[in-house]
Amino acid sequence: MQLLKKLKKASPGWFLLTVGIIILLLIPNLNIIINLFGEAGENWEHVRNYLLVNYFQNSLILVLATGLLAAFLGAGLAWVIAAYNFPGRDFLSWGLILPLAIPPYIGAYVYQGMFSYTGPLQTFLRNKFQLRLSQQYFDFMNIRGAIFIYTIFLFPYVFLMTRAFLSKQSASLLESSRLLGKSDNTIFFKIILPLSRGAVVAGSSLVMMEVLNDYGVVKYFGISTFTTAIFKSWFGMGDLPTSVRLAVMAMLVIFVVLFIEKLLRGGRKYSYSTSNIRPVSRRKLEGSRKVLAQLFTYGVFFFGFLLPTVQLLYWSFLSRGGGLMETLHFAFTSFLTGGGAAVLILTGAVIIATTARMSSNFVSNLLARITILGYSIPGAVIAVGVLLFMLQLDGVLSFLQTGFGIEANVVLSSTLVMLIFAYAVRFMGIAFNSVNSGYEKIGESYFEASRTLGKGVTETFFKIDLPMLKPALMSGFLLVFIEIMKELPLTMILRPFNFDTLATKAFEYASDEMIYRAADLSLVLIFFSAAAIYLITHHRRRKNNAVRN
Amino acid sequence: MKKLIIVTIIISIFVGLGTAAAAAEEVNLYTNRHYDTDEEILNRFTEETGIEVNVLKGDSDQLIERIAREGKNSPADVLITADAGRLHRAKERDILQSVSTETLTQNVPANLRDEDNYWYGLTIRGRVIVYSKDRVDPEDLAGYGDLTSDQWQDKIVVRSSENIYNQSLLASLVSIYGEKWAEDWAAGIVDNMARKPQGNDRAQATAVAAGEGDLAIMNTYYLGKMINSDNPAEVEVAENVGIHFPDGENGTHINVSGAGVVKNAPNKDNAVKLLEYLSSASAQKFFASANYEYPVNPEVEASELLQSWGDFETQNINLTELGIHNQTAVRIFNRVGWQ
Amino acid sequence: MQLEIKNLTFAYNKKEANIVDNFNLEVKKGEVVALVGASGSGKSTVLRLTAGLEIPDSGKISIAGQTVAGDHKFRAAEKREVGMVFQDYALFPHLSVEKNIGFGIDHLSKSKRKARVKELLKLVNLEGFEKRYPHQLSGGQQQRIALARTLAPGPKLLLLDEPFSNLDAELKDKIRGELNQIIKEIGVTTILVSHDREDAEFMQAREIIMN
Repeated sequence: MQLLKKLKKASPGWFLLTVGIIILLLIPNLNIIINLFGEAGENWEHVRNYLLVNYFQNSLILVLATGLLAAFLGAGLAWVIAAYNFPGRDFLSWGLILPLAIPPYIGAYVYQGMFSYTGPLQTFLRNKFQLRLSQQYFDFMNIRGAIFIYTIFLFPYVFLMTRAFLSKQSASLLESSRLLGKSDNTIFFKIILPLSRGAVVAGSSLVMMEVLNDYGVVKYFGISTFTTAIFKSWFGMGDLPTSVRLAVMAMLVIFVVLFIEKLLRGGRKYSYSTSNIRPVSRRKLEGSRKVLAQLFTYGVFFFGFLLPTVQLLYWSFLSRGGGLMETLHFAFTSFLTGGGAAVLILTGAVIIATTARMSSNFVSNLLARITILGYSIPGAVIAVGVLLFMLQLDGVLSFLQTGFGIEANVVLSSTLVMLIFAYAVRFMGIAFNSVNSGYEKIGESYFEASRTLGKGVTETFFKIDLPMLKPALMSGFLLVFIEIMKELPLTMILRPFNFDTLATKAFEYASDEMIYRAADLSLVLIFFSAAAIYLITHHRRRKNNAVRN
Repeated sequence: MKKLIIVTIIISIFVGLGTAAAAAEEVNLYTNRHYDTDEEILNRFTEETGIEVNVLKGDSDQLIERIAREGKNSPADVLITADAGRLHRAKERDILQSVSTETLTQNVPANLRDEDNYWYGLTIRGRVIVYSKDRVDPEDLAGYGDLTSDQWQDKIVVRSSENIYNQSLLASLVSIYGEKWAEDWAAGIVDNMARKPQGNDRAQATAVAAGEGDLAIMNTYYLGKMINSDNPAEVEVAENVGIHFPDGENGTHINVSGAGVVKNAPNKDNAVKLLEYLSSASAQKFFASANYEYPVNPEVEASELLQSWGDFETQNINLTELGIHNQTAVRIFNRVGWQ
Repeated sequence: MQLEIKNLTFAYNKKEANIVDNFNLEVKKGEVVALVGASGSGKSTVLRLTAGLEIPDSGKISIAGQTVAGDHKFRAAEKREVGMVFQDYALFPHLSVEKNIGFGIDHLSKSKRKARVKELLKLVNLEGFEKRYPHQLSGGQQQRIALARTLAPGPKLLLLDEPFSNLDAELKDKIRGELNQIIKEIGVTTILVSHDREDAEFMQAREIIMN
């Protein structure tokens, strides 16, 4: 009876399916951890003596500075958007998410290209004003530059979560503070910031994970971090054990970050309130305050989206549309791969989330932890794990095939199956979170009502849960889709023959210093991601309106 | 139900992708070169021989690692990388096989191929000194060793030591002068740096033109690319700098992009054919000039631009040495703090 | 006995005290019973255990003479033929009134199902509402549709979880009257949960005080 209670209402079919998926997700990670118990690689001592301190410093500075700046930027913007009305506010409420459509490495190339000696800004100053400034002022390729890039392109994570949180807060809280004669600035620092602490910290920890995992920017800027070190020791020195040790240390940094997050949240879960609360009524801004708010919000939008996009358009124009067919081809590949993989990942996530919902808190928390594991591990490390696993699997397959005398030669490694599996390991957590929050919004009573009306778990799932989950599935799909479109390290390492996505090709061109050629590809990539963001935000908005009417 | 059908279709597509392949005549190429011209040459190869070329592009270290992990099931036939040190690493990791044909021996000079014929160089690039035409008299420039003199205090710009071209340069110096000399040299360069290593080779030339430093260490073909750039500002940079081929006691450090046949190549014959084709006189002209590199085939002349830079002496070592001393070079960089 | 509960014990969490502790109850066929108590007294939990939505730690539940929980047996909610009207009604928002009511009787042929839906709509006094959607209904209407949906398969037991808590005072009187009439009309065995003793009196139910 006790065991039954732990699994609660999970039906065995769903449970077994979930266990199967979870094992698949775990094996690549285990493959890596096993490596940890082997002997230290020959280069470990050398790395520890000469490089580790540097890796640690750089990673820590990048992660903490970006986390902090993104927190303030994201929270501040969320507050302005939630509390005030000014011309352009409606557009910016989703426009400020758009920087997320630009992968940081593309942003880095664009900004460096723009500010470099041969870039448009300095060329303009030289040719028009005969102005030759010291290069120090334009020096972008350092830690400060990287922090800027990460902040301006990743802050939307904080913005999104904080805005969602603020829109769920009761208006009376804000109004009573205003009636008590508090200035808006006081309200922001004394009420809003402490209140939305949980959301801000959660968003900012996402930002920090992204920073720690990023490979493109630091590689281009020549900053040594854990991720570049993992690549360097594995590929450069051919020393997998050392790179695994570094990966584990990077994971420790992540755990520290997550632990700090827990502390800062004060163990409090900010829960979704189902009761109808009156949304915060926005105050209309006039005069200098209006200008200030617009300057701030449009300024961020300008640097985070408009400027880089316009620059790319200009470069694309300079390249005279060369390689249009090529661009279309890669767009097609990216679209199909991203879409197909996202459908599969969502399917897996729905299965896991459905089981999690029917299980005890302990089991469902455990499932959530496992699915998010892949997101917190550097992509390069997942790539090793997945490759090792697929090779093991191929060994088994070829054994079976010879055993049964089957002619067909099925090989999984170096096929799309391997890459898509790796995507699943990495992004299952994102999909799971979407589905899970969808379930949380629906609540349990529909499920229970269906059960008492004589429908089993599976029938209830198809007739009730699935249709009601649609919005959550949609946004989960789009989130995963965007991530896969932007994904770099996994695709680079695990892709099959003759396979290029917009992201890999743009990165190739950019690192080959053919930034003009990269421009077309980057633009298409940004367009896809931006369209997905538009769909997510406007889908939600339509729904909100429907509920309100 | 509809969903189930969709999922089934998608899965079967993937399985289909997994099992497809195995066309009649093909060769599988793992390469880290990604120039449009390469595609064109490969297309010509297919036209002439009827052999389809499947390409997997990637970072060369990652390709090597992947072939190693794939082991005897690896579909790879040919590996092309842009550095001799990496080719040597591939040989050391036991993923290449020795092939030798008369054509190859004729096309590729002995110092530009592996001593056991595990790999062959295809195109040559030099790692040269680029100087500011305004501020530097080329008469003051000699070999790599002279770059550590006080004259160049805070004048040198160079990219990070993560970069394989720097590693191979230092490896060549280790091979010629020994580890101690090379370490002193690297420390001397670090002392003379005008700024922390950053950016790529192109950025170094730009830094010289912008006045951040007077001398840059960089590869020849980047200058060729800048001269032919779409961006007028880059062309201007290239016009403001001069190119000096290090001479002195030993010549200019050169490196190759090269190719080797993979140990368990399923299509070995086709692989050899591809190597022969790429080193042949007809392909070489195009192959090398497209990326502003020097051809390996002695029968083929370099492009006009490259000829205008003049002839130069090369270091007198077999390129295998670059691979042998790579680890030493990396460790020296780390010890002297060349980031 | 239509429902027999013996020594029922349950806790949501091992760390917490039992919310239902050694609870016993017998309900005769056609009887209306009200479980009355403050929030946290475990009255709703008893309903959930009876419906099969929670698994008891110990004790036994029998419905119409058959054990559905206890003795190492557990019959899933969908196999118990117990109907439950939820506090928030839980009408499926993506289905029309007709489909909501027909949800539990889709084993019937289409024409039979239609007839049954019509019959039930008449019972709850909402004829002609077939094509509406839940969000187009008032709170009182939603509750009556939820009742119709629950009664459609002809449950052995009707469970009502705080049926009047979401209604304002005026509406409450009206609904209580209607509900009482419907239950008496079809004679279904009913257990209702309320925090208000007045509800029990009004429904002429046997009162069981829980604390």
